Amino acid sequence: MIRKTRIKRTWLAAAVIASGSLLATALPANAETGVSASEIKLGITLPLTGAASPGYNKIGNAMNAYFKYVNDNGGVYGRKVTLIQKNDEYSPQLSISKTNELILRDKVFALVGPLGTANFTAVHKSVGLAKRGVPSLFLNTGFSGFSNKKSYPSSFMVLPSYAMEAKIIAQFLKENHAGKKLGIVYQNDEFGIDGMGAFKAAGTKFDVTIPYTSGSQSAATAQTWVSQLAAGGAQVVVIFGVTSATGALLGVSAAARYAPQWILGSVGSDPVTLRAIGVPVAVLNGAQTPAGNPSPNDTSDEYVKQFQEINTKYNTGTAFDDYVLQGMNIGLMTVQALRAAGKNLTRKGLVRAMESKGSKFASVAYSPLGFSRTSNVGHTGYYMAVMDANGDRKPFGGKVTLYTTDSGSGPVVVSTFKRPAMPAKGLPSNS
Amino acid sequence: MRTFKFKRSLTLVAVSSLLSITVVSIPTAAQATPVCTTASGVTTCLGATSDTAPYMLMTPANFNGTVYLYSHGYRPNVPVPAGIPGYGGYTVTNTPEPAPGGDAKIIGTLLAKGYAVMGSGFARQGWNADSAIKTNVELIGVFKKQYPKTTKVVAWGNSLGGFITQALAEKYPDLISAAAPLCMASDLTPLMTMAGDALWGIKTFFDPTIKGGGYSAGTAGYAEAMGDLVKVFTAIGAMQAAISANPTAPAWPATSTVPAALKAVPSRSALVLVALMSGVPMQSAHFDSTSAPAGLPASNALSFQLAINPALAALENLANAAALAVLATHDVEQQAGGAIFDNTATDYSARVASERFIWSSALTGEAGVNALLGYLAAVPRVKGNPAAIAKLATLTTHTGKVEVPTILFTGTADPVTTPGNQQAVIDKYAAYSAEKWAAAKKVGDRKRPANNQLVLWDFPPEKYTKFTAAGSPDTTGAAATGTNHCNFTTSQYLAIADLLAYAAENGKNMSGGALYTKIRKAGNMTYDRGYEAPRLKYYGE
Repeated sequence: MIRKTRIKRTWLAAAVIASGSLLATALPANAETGVSASEIKLGITLPLTGAASPGYNKIGNAMNAYFKYVNDNGGVYGRKVTLIQKNDEYSPQLSISKTNELILRDKVFALVGPLGTANFTAVHKSVGLAKRGVPSLFLNTGFSGFSNKKSYPSSFMVLPSYAMEAKIIAQFLKENHAGKKLGIVYQNDEFGIDGMGAFKAAGTKFDVTIPYTSGSQSAATAQTWVSQLAAGGAQVVVIFGVTSATGALLGVSAAARYAPQWILGSVGSDPVTLRAIGVPVAVLNGAQTPAGNPSPNDTSDEYVKQFQEINTKYNTGTAFDDYVLQGMNIGLMTVQALRAAGKNLTRKGLVRAMESKGSKFASVAYSPLGFSRTSNVGHTGYYMAVMDANGDRKPFGGKVTLYTTDSGSGPVVVSTFKRPAMPAKGLPSNS
Repeated sequence: MRTFKFKRSLTLVAVSSLLSITVVSIPTAAQATPVCTTASGVTTCLGATSDTAPYMLMTPANFNGTVYLYSHGYRPNVPVPAGIPGYGGYTVTNTPEPAPGGDAKIIGTLLAKGYAVMGSGFARQGWNADSAIKTNVELIGVFKKQYPKTTKVVAWGNSLGGFITQALAEKYPDLISAAAPLCMASDLTPLMTMAGDALWGIKTFFDPTIKGGGYSAGTAGYAEAMGDLVKVFTAIGAMQAAISANPTAPAWPATSTVPAALKAVPSRSALVLVALMSGVPMQSAHFDSTSAPAGLPASNALSFQLAINPALAALENLANAAALAVLATHDVEQQAGGAIFDNTATDYSARVASERFIWSSALTGEAGVNALLGYLAAVPRVKGNPAAIAKLATLTTHTGKVEVPTILFTGTADPVTTPGNQQAVIDKYAAYSAEKWAAAKKVGDRKRPANNQLVLWDFPPEKYTKFTAAGSPDTTGAAATGTNHCNFTTSQYLAIADLLAYAAENGKNMSGGALYTKIRKAGNMTYDRGYEAPRLKYYGE
């Protein structure tokens, strides 16, 4: 038995040496989970089906399309990037098991773009991402709690926090809707708490306040919201909820001929998705919304133009909207992160690269990125936009005025930040 | 949210078998030397240790020198009158149990391989760890005297027996070659705190006449505990009926005295909060906290997934945990001499600090959980008896300081000995290993101490809730793997037995491909060094 084992080990060692020498001319030998000489495996959990899926279910495919484009152009230092998508149906319990699958069975190198606040809270607590050292990049949630670097040492946000968003909306309300009766419908969990806390700190007083429990949004519940808003005389209504909640409220309001000035939170404001779930375009006309990215229809924007081309070729048949733009952009940032981590790709190296170089990454969003050794905050601001008669988003006031802030008590300021240019042909060359 | 209607009433309250059942006969009296009979090549010896605990030894003719010492789980120390769900008709027994549940296949397989098996019924039932450890030490001596060619003793045990097994390995490395604490209980204080929290939560939200502890001495206390069993199951049954009738907004039980304003929060959310604050898992025998019936509109399906399925999981798990909580509280209080549960300083809001976000929908959002927690903060708390609590602290606890190979295995959704019990021992062993490593480095030893703790988990499947054609949850099937208390298969037990034999023979645990093959063949056993179970809620308070 001992002899047999020794022979086997010797044989294995020889094989390793042989394959190592073959690789020496191409890439350094790499023993990190999810990384081979030819491939980098990444994973994402998100709702691909169910009530929460509209819009979100496009993000993974958009990321994949971008990765395919990169792979067709040499990959990341010769390695192709593979994304494994897992459908968690927006259920935190399912997010846990799907993430376990990604890490233990599929052996991914890192998570990119996992979606949902409750979902990622559950995953982080139950899967032990920090202990395993699994990086989780570009979380698709704006919960400011995830910006706690100590608690989430290997996680990095991408969206501005909900607190930042609320602060910017609060400023906008003060400047543009002073004296009007205000209403708000918000998701009554950490998503809404983040926002409501910031509104309160900013001194915004809502005349009608309607919390809803995640999962309860439907046409029937939206009827009660409309009744309350109308009864309270709300002239300006903020919706701080997911797309399905926004859609339900706008749809019911249209039928009830209730037409306040809508201010749609960024999470639920994609016009393509809203129209797809039955919101009449006329209702969207004039709706105001904070936005981080240019309109997906703005082909004068170099990022949008490039991503649209990639979408046409690699994501055939998919309407190009905010979610596709977001997915492509996460793909772009991911490739920059992988490149920044170097040819000897390790999980620790990826985290270090995010901390040291992440703030300089090219991104479609107008606001700066906040990554550093002490911060895992992603984008830090919004501009206000208004929807037109086609449901397209245009900068409020005719030009982009970018506001930046933090999730705490810092002021909302107009920023002169100039975002980095799109890498040539959309292919990062950073190191 | 649309009102869901279940076409049939649920049948959830099917408490898992917490009572050990054995197939062997009981010795008639305490005996200093065992009385042995041989049949079909197996010698069976019955006797009793000096504390009158009956035991059984079974040895094959081709005995290879290794004997398995099994320690059975918690058996109530009082009879339970007929009619009480789950436990009705139980009578106190100290029948010896030489293998898990007296499983004939396990015993037969081990004997066929040349191993002997043995087990005691212990002299006293209830929480008996300190006396059971002594009994086992004596039993090992009895066996060795009877079979002088004995070379190895491996210990294993379930639940309380897992506690006893771990303690044996810690205290008697000279007697034990390897040990496997299974679905183990960790220390008594946190375990009883969990029981107390669950009972106090049920009492506070659903029926304030439940005592939940502080039972009187003697027969009066026994009557109070049995009365509590009835009330707890009545409350749980009422919740079950309410959810069945109106899953979205189930009525509060008639026995509940919570303020009318709080009743605006669905009562199912209170159930979820009780489970979360006491550390009861959110996956149960039949509810995965994920599935929804087919054919529901998407938004209703999401509601079911996020809010109703978790409530049903909490209900089913609390049904399993609460009954044992009553029986164990009564038992331990009698031993300690007073009330052992004290929540005067407990911050239930801090207890659910992260869970409230994960289970936000099931808790009816922030408004719901704040209202429920606000009520818990406002109502009077329970003050324990300091002397009784101090006495608990004098009982055996685990140190994690083990030198012999140990194998830990539990279900991650065990509602009684939650996986945090196993995690507690893992953490203690890690601390001990770090301590040894630091000491070694101080004297210039660069060799890291070997890791002799093999940790295995049984994870429930991703989705397993079944629904009838009418869309009602179907709870008639077997409990999902990884759920319920000590819900192991014979194959899993036999894999553990093989791992124990290997560890005893080699002085270290099986690893690498052999380990993976072994556990893969057994099914639903996961080796994952990166996994950490949620910590017990009540450490550090």
